Amino acid sequence: MAKTIMIVDDSSTMLMSLRNSLEIAGFKVLEANDGSVALKTLQGGAKPDLIITDINMPNMGGIEFIGKARALAGFRFIPILALTTESQQGKRDEAKKLGATGWLLKPVSGTDLNKIIKQVLPGA
Amino acid sequence: MSAHRDPVPAAAEALAAYLQLEEAIDGSLNGVISDTESSARSIIQNVRRLHDSATTLATYLDGTSLQAGDLGKEIFESVAFLGDIGAFIKRLPEKIERDLSSVQALVTEIKFLNEMTADVKAISLQSHLLAINAAVEAGRAGTVGSAFKVVADEMRRLAGTSSTMAVKINKGLARAQEIVENGIESTIKESAAQLAEVSTAAATIDKLQNNFEDMSQYYKTRLAIVIKHNEDLVRDIGEALGQVQYQDVVRQSIERIRIAAGRRNDAMRTLLLMQGEDADEEAGVPLQLELILKDYLAEEQKHRHSVRQTQGSAAPLKIELF
Repeated sequence: MAKTIMIVDDSSTMLMSLRNSLEIAGFKVLEANDGSVALKTLQGGAKPDLIITDINMPNMGGIEFIGKARALAGFRFIPILALTTESQQGKRDEAKKLGATGWLLKPVSGTDLNKIIKQVLPGA
Repeated sequence: MSAHRDPVPAAAEALAAYLQLEEAIDGSLNGVISDTESSARSIIQNVRRLHDSATTLATYLDGTSLQAGDLGKEIFESVAFLGDIGAFIKRLPEKIERDLSSVQALVTEIKFLNEMTADVKAISLQSHLLAINAAVEAGRAGTVGSAFKVVADEMRRLAGTSSTMAVKINKGLARAQEIVENGIESTIKESAAQLAEVSTAAATIDKLQNNFEDMSQYYKTRLAIVIKHNEDLVRDIGEALGQVQYQDVVRQSIERIRIAAGRRNDAMRTLLLMQGEDADEEAGVPLQLELILKDYLAEEQKHRHSVRQTQGSAAPLKIELF
């Protein structure tokens, strides 16, 4: 059965690019255009196998979203990857502390993305 | 003589015109973001269609490969069967040779039997003579020899029958020998022509088999090349989708420029509104501009990602798993 990946980004181009890359690789995709929408989707019962989130977004940014998602029941061990243009170490450390699984700098190629997904989602 | 304008109103006019220009540029930058976004979305849609075509092609190639495999298997089995026939045909001359040798051995055996009938005839003749002598001796013995005469007569009759039978066997064997020898002669004549045909048929089968193997290998190679190109195409499509993400990187870069430019314009607008009325406020504008520059460079530093931006310093890790 195809695994489900949630993508969170305020850029429609990013959402479209990631959706197509992931669908081509055989995944089901859930979209949210900021952290707050993503959190509501998770609270509504969605259970993705992996979350890929941007960091700088309106309403609720990626760092805050990671912290709140980790606090939800059943989301303690689901891998969460940050995909952002932010390269500063401080933000990385903060995300890591809140439970992020990894940090990817935009843009990420289809090959690299699939490689990372295979690492954090064994059997994908 | 040219007219002199008051420097303060002239600077104020220039500043106002500059701010109008900035607003126009900001509007254009916003348009650039919008245009690149819609163009990136079109590229993604086109690339996705390209991928769907590549997938259709891959499915078609898989089907063709399977069908070619089944067809190849059938042809291979047919050719193998023809190969068996060819091998049998190749062994045929040897078999014919063996059969001829057997028939020749049979002829030798018939000749030997024929010679034996001569011995049987000689024995019959001697038995006949012996029976005549026995009959003469029985006649001399008179009444006492009458019973013996009956035996001698019977023996003479048997000798006659043996001789007749020997002649019949002799004739029969001669006919058998003639039939077999005629058969051998015609087989040898026919074999020469058949062997020539056999040789041609065997060569044709060999050629057919080699041609099939060459053709099969040729198409296998072609199919493998097409499949490899298709895989490369799918991989490159994935890479292209990744490259489109640069639109978001550029958008964010322009957004940071717009924020810095907006703050700078606000500072300039303050300067314009003062019109020399508040010297302290005006003196603070350069400091504000310095602060805006510092903030802008700090923001840029947080978003270093390209080779251009990381020259002379350690590039941040593009992928890091915690």
